[in-house]
Amino acid sequence: MKGFRNHGLIGSVCSFAAAVTLAAAVTPIVILLVQAGGVLDFGFLVGTPSRFAAQAGVGPALAGTLWLTLLTAALACPVGVGAAVYFAEYAPRTRAVQAIESAVSNLAGVPPLVFGVTGLALYVRGLGLGPTVLAGGLTLAMLALPTVVVTSKEAIRQVPAGVRAAAYALGATRWEVLRRQVLPAAAPGILTGVTLALARTAGAAAPLLVIGAASFITYAPATPGDLLVALPTQVFAWSARSQPGFAALAAAAGVVLLALLLVLHLASLALRRRLAGAAR
Amino acid sequence: MSAPGLGSSPETRPPRSPRDGSPAGAPVLALRDLCVRFSGRPALRDISLDVTRGRIVAVIGPSGCGKTTLLQALNRMNELIPGARTTGSVRFDGVELYRPEIDPVEVRRRIGMVFREATLFPGSVFDNVAFGPQAAGFGGDLHALAEEVLAASGLWSDLGGDPDVPAASLSAGQRQRLCIARALAVRPQILLLDEPTAALDPTATARIGSLIHSLMPHLTIVIATNDVRLAARTSNLTAYLDRGELVEYGPTETLCTNPADPRTESYLTGRIP
Repeated sequence: MKGFRNHGLIGSVCSFAAAVTLAAAVTPIVILLVQAGGVLDFGFLVGTPSRFAAQAGVGPALAGTLWLTLLTAALACPVGVGAAVYFAEYAPRTRAVQAIESAVSNLAGVPPLVFGVTGLALYVRGLGLGPTVLAGGLTLAMLALPTVVVTSKEAIRQVPAGVRAAAYALGATRWEVLRRQVLPAAAPGILTGVTLALARTAGAAAPLLVIGAASFITYAPATPGDLLVALPTQVFAWSARSQPGFAALAAAAGVVLLALLLVLHLASLALRRRLAGAAR
Repeated sequence: MSAPGLGSSPETRPPRSPRDGSPAGAPVLALRDLCVRFSGRPALRDISLDVTRGRIVAVIGPSGCGKTTLLQALNRMNELIPGARTTGSVRFDGVELYRPEIDPVEVRRRIGMVFREATLFPGSVFDNVAFGPQAAGFGGDLHALAEEVLAASGLWSDLGGDPDVPAASLSAGQRQRLCIARALAVRPQILLLDEPTAALDPTATARIGSLIHSLMPHLTIVIATNDVRLAARTSNLTAYLDRGELVEYGPTETLCTNPADPRTESYLTGRIP
């Protein structure tokens, strides 16, 4: 407790708050790891769900979440960044545009469950896709879109006005200013937004449950047209079972999901470093 | 009027006559009744003046008098500001710049501009110089062009002949000279310099001053500045702006030593009117 005294009262209170935060962040991971301990092995990663807890694996769900993340990124990134460029660079500053912009911002706070209901009506039934990986990807892309738009827009707006003015004064067209100065400078910020959005969607169970994700499929989805399975819904399915052994399976699937998000963040960090290096 | 440094010596002020064969008398820029408003608020009122090719024109006046607006009216940079409205006429080599079919991008390639803050692009010195020519579809030898304009701005020797150093490693004065080199790389006929020395120390200011003087003799330069000494040292003609109006325009020596208008005199002597 020596360190606490050195900081004075406010410092001590804040240090304590930091310690609580650390504990709150570490404890769930420790509990997950302890619970999952006996289950996590290679066989679990490639195995398929089973009535017998000892034989069950997370293979189809892992493949499903990889598919979903890929589809979400492929759908939400071009549309989201495109919309952000429009709002930041092209849109007139009228009340109507500002209203649309704030509506998009508010959409980022809408519960994922609501997107599930929309996805069910629009893709599963409306387009007749059924409860497939593609329907899941489209639904999660809707969920990711507002976050991508808002963060990319902010990243683009934070490019110094002097850079734009200098580029225009050198006789560059709007497109050249955008492509060669603004977007490269904003790229690290855009990437951060995309990563946050993908992390949010990769862990979302509610919308996938609403559109009808399966929890007992013994083959991994090979195309977007296959039946939807995903890690978060698998965690949910296993944690709802009372037989012994399934709680450990749920924890282990949770660890796999966390590891996947960690890989996503590390990849994003490495890419961001490279982009920032290129922009300097 | 006895401000130090205003007295000119012949060697620091060589005559700049055009060498490209064009008639010396034809104005390269002709402004008539130029008005600029920002969201209805007038920033420039009825500016009329001519600029002869190859001359250096200084625009002086107190902060907020419209120097930047005047410069930006000459290469249509003002229209990037929401709410800006320009009326009147600016003719460049006889062509009205504000005709609707005139592309502002083309205008800016012929009339380049350097700003008060030396904002560099990310990347190397070469990347900065190459941006403008690449945007204009330059098909020649970019490295030769870079060497030429960096030498013209006195940076080539500073860099030891290596344009691949990071632009961020340059000093403030070097950055501003890089901005000038970057603008020259587009081969403009007119170069607008907006308070290029406002953020620089006296040594760097002096270097910019001599650089402005050494630039190609056919290049017309309009320089907005708060630095009367810089204006006196570099320019052939000086315009004094006050509250968006052109108060006085004439040969720099006459305007600086014997201003016709009391407002000009107050500004030059630093007296509060």
